[in-house]
Amino acid sequence: MRRAFLTASAALGLVLSLPGAQVTNPVAPAASSAPVPDSPRRVTLADAGPPGAIAAPVRVHIPSIGVDSALLRLGVDDAGALLPPDDFGQAGWFPAGPVPGDIGPAVIAGHVDSFAGPAVFFRLRELADGDEVRVDRADGTTIRFTVTATHRYPKDEFPTEDVYGPTPRAELRLITCGGDFDRSARSYRDNVVVYASRV
Amino acid sequence: MRALRATGAAVLMAGGVIAGWAVPAAAAEDTGLLRLAHLSPDTPAVDVYVDSVADPAARITLTGVDYGTVSEYQDVPTGAYTVSMRPTGADPDTPPVLSTIVEVSGDSARTVAGVGLFASLGLEIIDDSLATPPSGQARIRVLAGASNAQTVDVATVDGTTVASGLPFATTSDYVDVPAGATTLRVSAGGEPPTELPVDVAAGAVYSLVVLDSDGSGLSVRPVLDAASPGIVPAGGVETGAGGTAGGDLPVGVIAAALASGGAALALGLRSRRGRMRYGAHSR
Repeated sequence: MRRAFLTASAALGLVLSLPGAQVTNPVAPAASSAPVPDSPRRVTLADAGPPGAIAAPVRVHIPSIGVDSALLRLGVDDAGALLPPDDFGQAGWFPAGPVPGDIGPAVIAGHVDSFAGPAVFFRLRELADGDEVRVDRADGTTIRFTVTATHRYPKDEFPTEDVYGPTPRAELRLITCGGDFDRSARSYRDNVVVYASRV
Repeated sequence: MRALRATGAAVLMAGGVIAGWAVPAAAAEDTGLLRLAHLSPDTPAVDVYVDSVADPAARITLTGVDYGTVSEYQDVPTGAYTVSMRPTGADPDTPPVLSTIVEVSGDSARTVAGVGLFASLGLEIIDDSLATPPSGQARIRVLAGASNAQTVDVATVDGTTVASGLPFATTSDYVDVPAGATTLRVSAGGEPPTELPVDVAAGAVYSLVVLDSDGSGLSVRPVLDAASPGIVPAGGVETGAGGTAGGDLPVGVIAAALASGGAALALGLRSRRGRMRYGAHSR
């Protein structure tokens, strides 16, 4: 998080930074183009607090199902679908979304199984309300979440708004596959989504 | 209460929660979100009580809530709540200065704000947006809490009006603006605007809280109402290869078995049993 920068021309130039926003050019006031009022009203920015340390997540722990995994980085494919981790044994975080612990739904996905057997999120479906999920971040902090719901959805009815929609607090979404395996499509028919909120 | 400063959100914390719900994990449809705001410039700090109508034992208390405060959201079970304000330190059994009833519905967020000057103080119930902004956009609104500005205008430099002639003690609708670097033009009642270069995040929802400051001045406090991924993935996720699925043989194994005769078939069957044992063991 960036502090507000008051420019030299206090009457005109001020720069405000919104939470969660990236200020790309915080020292470029628009004062030169602003009209000059006869008796300028002083407009200031309330202190937005200290710069936020947006430390990336590095590890996820889910004690009740024995998960302890480093976190890869996930992207989307050309069709916009979330790409799974390229390692069956590790979960991945979606960096285009919130950092776990920041406001919004942070997204972590992992495989339920490989071609040969269970993968990192094989037991994700067992998570129940109240179970703990911890995410370690690169700055050495650990963010604790508690599971609030576990749902299974057909992939063709994936509830995008519920899973990825805005949240006013720090939340977490853990995603894997579930339901029947469609061998012709080589794909599970369902996704299992675990919802968790920061403690 | 968890501080929002970790995210840099410009939220002043209320003095503290004396008592609240230990809300058990519940489905989103069973709980809603409620927060409180003090936007009355000449009203001293207050203690705010939020009492469940259905469960008199359930109470959230915020103490020492002063002008400019926007509290964190509280998870509350759906239902009706009485929100009352008393001068800070007043006996909670004394009549409140002001109270209102707010209905909290599932999977929603509301702000109860003390607005206007003390002489005409009111409690306003404001709906907060939890809907995803259009792709590549952010959502912004204005809470006009500055009595120094009879009205306030906020627009982006590219011409999108966020609030026009918004009277003191009112709230604008949310407006979607392109995410990224932009410039807000903020002015009080027809005065020349002050330009504020900002960068807003895609998928985020903000309230710009305008407050009195420094005599006749204005202070703009950005509050992050909610956030979502700047890129929303489409559909589900392919997070399984089927190695524990059990059931019928993979088509490929059957085809290979048919093509290669009995030995391959036996191999296929063995591998199938192996998978099934593995699956049963893992459960």
